[in-house]
Amino acid sequence: MPRPVLGRASTPDSVGRATTAGSSGRVAHLDRDRALVEEARRDPLRFDALYRRYLAQVYSYAYHELGDHHEAEDATERTFLAALAGLGRFEERARPADGEGASTFRVWLFQIARNSVSNQRRGRRRHPVAPLEAAALIADPMDVEGGATQRDEAAAAWRAVGRLPADRRQALVLRFVDEMSTAEIAGVLGRSEGAVRVLVHRALRAVARDLGGR
Amino acid sequence: MSLVDRDAASSEALLTDLYLDALLAGAVLDATDRGASGDPSDRLDPAARHAADRLRRDLVRVHPSFRFEERLATRLAEAAMAMRVPAAAGAEGRVVPFRTPAYDTDPLVPAEAEDSSPRELTRPLLIGGALTSAALSIAGAALVAWRRGRPSRSGGPMVRAARAARSARISGATPRALSGPRRTSRSPRTRRLD
Repeated sequence: MPRPVLGRASTPDSVGRATTAGSSGRVAHLDRDRALVEEARRDPLRFDALYRRYLAQVYSYAYHELGDHHEAEDATERTFLAALAGLGRFEERARPADGEGASTFRVWLFQIARNSVSNQRRGRRRHPVAPLEAAALIADPMDVEGGATQRDEAAAAWRAVGRLPADRRQALVLRFVDEMSTAEIAGVLGRSEGAVRVLVHRALRAVARDLGGR
Repeated sequence: MSLVDRDAASSEALLTDLYLDALLAGAVLDATDRGASGDPSDRLDPAARHAADRLRRDLVRVHPSFRFEERLATRLAEAAMAMRVPAAAGAEGRVVPFRTPAYDTDPLVPAEAEDSSPRELTRPLLIGGALTSAALSIAGAALVAWRRGRPSRSGGPMVRAARAARSARISGATPRALSGPRRTSRSPRTRRLD
């Protein structure tokens, strides 16, 4: 995984940026998307690389949250258009503690996605849609019997997650589907890392109770 | 919740976090292969661990259709081109889109702060409208005052006819010039000579 700049020991400044010790406050960026973001800022057409990298993640998040293919597409479209338009306002804030794979761009993008999904859900309350049918996606079409069992189990898991309160559900989806670290989820949800850990732990126990009870 | 309970919950949450890190990195062995490893995450609640394993398997990442992907890529490219052209031309101006209510809110603005933004955007529009209407009112009033105060120097036929009728009424004469068919038999010049 590429890591653009981390030559010298660095300390985070007050805004969360890492500054190198010996270069009079020069900013050392840890964001793994830094090169792509800078290219996209210079030439908006280069945003395509960021789009291709994160399309499936954003779409998956929206799909798990909304449970509808078309609504997920709408939310995904809004997310990327808003990200392209607002790229000038994005600030890199990765810290050394965030690790090598840290991407504050991804956190920023998912903050936009979360808002898009929230807006979509708010509009949907007036027009409720059918529950999620995504469990069929993961079954092997060649294995009919095993596929049916797997589909049932997956549907039960999806339902258990769907019954969770919004913040717990979002934390679980970001953790399992988008494979985000606790620090990244904390950035997306606007909470502390400790709070996110507790959130995920409680969500997991609730899902365990739900799955164990059937 | 007491401090001890809170510490216990935090340490359990930390154990769960460690287990999930390992699970998502593919570093967790199956239960049959695990044996007595002494791993701290073994202290994790078996039901929670089982749920984590299930979610790891069942909460999969899904990809949108190829058609959607390419359609959105095209739309983004168009938007990028639109951003690029003003940049090349100097970009002094900036397009501020109109806001539509509730459902179409700005995704860049957190949902909680949504109520303050429309007010900020509509205020300049209201002030601008009020100033424009005030300026138009003042200009209109000034024009009317100027028109009224200024003596009419126009010698249009209607004005002349009205003056003639008025002077005729004052002098007590019959305004023959205005009475019917006779008027057609005499030219204006003749009438003036009378």
